[in-house]
Amino acid sequence: MLLDYDRMGWLRVALLGFTALVAGFLLLPVVFIVLLSFGSSRWLAFPPPGWTLKWYQELFADPAWLDAALTSARIATMTAILAVAIGLLASFALVRGQFAGREILRGLLLTPMVLPVVVFAIAIYAFFLRLGLGGTTIGFVIAHTVLALPFAIIPIATALEGFDKSIEDAAIVCGASPLEARLRITLPSIRIGIFSAAIFSFLASWDEVVVAIFMASPSLQTLPVKIWGSLRSDLSPVIAAASSLLVGLTLALMVVTALLQRKVRT
Amino acid sequence: MSVETRRNLGTVRLPAGFNGLLPALVLIVLFFVVPVLALLLRSVTEPEPGLQNYAALLGDGTYARVFFNTFLVASVVTIVTVLVAFPVAWMLAIMPSALASVVFGVIILSMWTNLLTRTYAWMVLLQRTGVINRTLIAAGVIDQPLPLINNLTGVTIGMVYIMLPFMILPLVGTLRAIDPMTLRAAALCGASPFQAFRRILVPLSLPGVAAGGLMVFVMSLGYFVTPALLGGTSNMMLAEMIAQMIQSLLNWGLGSAAAFILLVVTMALYALQLRLVGARRMSGGL
Repeated sequence: MLLDYDRMGWLRVALLGFTALVAGFLLLPVVFIVLLSFGSSRWLAFPPPGWTLKWYQELFADPAWLDAALTSARIATMTAILAVAIGLLASFALVRGQFAGREILRGLLLTPMVLPVVVFAIAIYAFFLRLGLGGTTIGFVIAHTVLALPFAIIPIATALEGFDKSIEDAAIVCGASPLEARLRITLPSIRIGIFSAAIFSFLASWDEVVVAIFMASPSLQTLPVKIWGSLRSDLSPVIAAASSLLVGLTLALMVVTALLQRKVRT
Repeated sequence: MSVETRRNLGTVRLPAGFNGLLPALVLIVLFFVVPVLALLLRSVTEPEPGLQNYAALLGDGTYARVFFNTFLVASVVTIVTVLVAFPVAWMLAIMPSALASVVFGVIILSMWTNLLTRTYAWMVLLQRTGVINRTLIAAGVIDQPLPLINNLTGVTIGMVYIMLPFMILPLVGTLRAIDPMTLRAAALCGASPFQAFRRILVPLSLPGVAAGGLMVFVMSLGYFVTPALLGGTSNMMLAEMIAQMIQSLLNWGLGSAAAFILLVVTMALYALQLRLVGARRMSGGL
């Protein structure tokens, strides 16, 4: 009875134990980094000899960190808006369009997700150097939108596939214009897909390291570039403080997503 | 000329519903396809036209080591990930949903946490004077700190950590789709639990394992951040070598050629995976 949870006997105990271990393994670095950010040891001793907030003070006292975070937020927001807008249009065409080669085009648009980022990073870096877009906000946004587009298309297209088009048609029969029907009937129905697309594409840019390392200039650094630079020089606890704030942001996004999903169900 | 004909001449006739794809296609062609093709062109034109960059990469022992090491790390990471993910996915597929959502929550939290944050945590945990070594020494298991970082062990731990969600999540779907009655039937016919596992559960979940494993392998092949931070200089991987050739050595010809090799291998494996699961099902992991 290998797939019957109630009749597995000792095997269930063993597998549950193993699952708990793996969950612990997945949780370990996240919890560890948050604890460490409040520890007083500069050498990251654990358990810490005492508790302190000085790494957070140091973090906020250095304008370079705040600057990098704001740059990242700006670029990620623009990326998410662009990726969702382009992804929304593309998803309608991919799901509803009647033309040959639809699957191939879908594959092409999803390729940036599969191609090793380092290949795209050096390609776009060389390309933008020639266009004079290297180290500019617009360059960052374009490059990140390419990488984020698959993460926008997948949830929107999935939501659209699950939406019954006859409801939209009914609205048109009742006198709505096609555009009106889409805006007022279809978009609200697939809003969870759109919202997931926005979160995923925001994170795709916010967390992106490789392209950013190549594109960054001394005057334009995103948060991952700043962390990368600090990591290479030393393992200062200030990075733990910055990391913990990022964990907090992740948790907040998870809670918002869960609440929205619950709201839709009820 | 009537208005109607002029319109037909002025615009290219597009199939119904195609227009929405235009912005996406312009973006991808202009800022993805063209730059990548331009890079590939560089690999056969710099410093002079010819295939000498490829000859240098494929004929040199140092580069051969990097290629070998890349495949070694990707293989080890894939095998370990599959072995760890399978029991977890198995439990998640049949566990009461309240308990399962806790485990899913942990998986999502780990997956969404900033990549550098997770890697930084492992650097601190695994270093010579890190928590793991200290705990083991204090417990009397070892006397000397184990070399856990800047080597294959460090890369494997860090990469398996990152890849686990990508293996577990799709595999849960595969395992949920298996009808428990098939296993009950096997038991009724006298199969021992081990026989049922080996001859029914494993074969039925094999498509999911193969698809997930291939995805993990492909992602590992081109991974840059984690190997660069947790690996050592003696076991450098391809992505890091490419970055170094461009960033430090400014050798665009050689770097582009190495990038092209990585691209071809990745795309070939991606095509294989599409055959296994189909483009639509690729989205299951999200």
